[in-house]
Amino acid sequence: MEITMVLAALKVVGYGLGAIGPGIGIGIACYGCCVGTARQPELQGRLFTNFILGAALAEALALIGFVLAFIM
Amino acid sequence: MDPLAELSAEVPHLQASFDPVSVFGGVTQYIFFMIICWIITLVVVLVVGKKLTLIPTNKFINTVEYGYQFVRNDMGEGIIGQGFKKHVPFLATLFFFILVSNFVGLIPGCKPPTGTISVTWALATISFVYFNYYGIKAHGGWGYIKSIAPSGLPVVMVPIIWFFELFSLILRWLTLAVRLYGNMFAGHMVLGIFALASSVFLMAGIENIDIVSGILTVPWFVLLIAMYALETLVAFLQAYVFTVLSSVYVSLATSSH
Repeated sequence: MEITMVLAALKVVGYGLGAIGPGIGIGIACYGCCVGTARQPELQGRLFTNFILGAALAEALALIGFVLAFIM
Repeated sequence: MDPLAELSAEVPHLQASFDPVSVFGGVTQYIFFMIICWIITLVVVLVVGKKLTLIPTNKFINTVEYGYQFVRNDMGEGIIGQGFKKHVPFLATLFFFILVSNFVGLIPGCKPPTGTISVTWALATISFVYFNYYGIKAHGGWGYIKSIAPSGLPVVMVPIIWFFELFSLILRWLTLAVRLYGNMFAGHMVLGIFALASSVFLMAGIENIDIVSGILTVPWFVLLIAMYALETLVAFLQAYVFTVLSSVYVSLATSSH
């Protein structure tokens, strides 16, 4: 009982640690997209597409952590 | 009983309500709601398609038409560019089905079909097969395998980069499925916990004549409403992100590097 509780808590802590990097990464990507759009509004479409793609790549790491927390 | 202790005793019941309980036969509650979402999507699209007029007369029809134009212009023309027209039906189907699924999940008592990993795996598999099929169609089998690595690299680097790109290609499959599932499942779990907390605190306040618990119901309920607003945004956003990523992958697979 005790061991399973500790393991469950460790999984959540591991996922939390895994979410730090992607969080910062998506934040930086969003910042870049906002600044780029403010400077050149006519490029908004392409900037936003690149932002979504970069956010998806960064988010993949957090999602792998999410999956590992479930299946481990 | 202490409301907090009661809340932690009730949470396993909440978790159990997210299990794929069988409704009849092999149909679980998620599949049951998925069939309902199919029917809603089909009826909406068929009825609107029949009654489409050049001059908008009906607000509902106009709204659905706006949604279709949103998919066509923002996701099709904006991202895929040339030759986007043949991909629009696929993207619009994905968008409307996921949108309806996510919004059906917001109705209390209903479950989002996208809140189970099996449905999102199926959707991601459809998208994965689709963009690989069009990639192979555009480049030919061997050409598509070569086009996974960007051109213009030094010859020594090509196998390494190719391997990493292949890994990220397969990762797209996983992330498409898990992103939608994770967002919908976690969002509904949060909504459930806030709803549970406000009802538990209200019951404790009434039964024990406990004023503190009764007053604490108010912030729980306000948080529940706020989370509902957030989940409404997420429900739309996830449908949008899934469709946008599908169209980005299609454009990556079909465009020449």
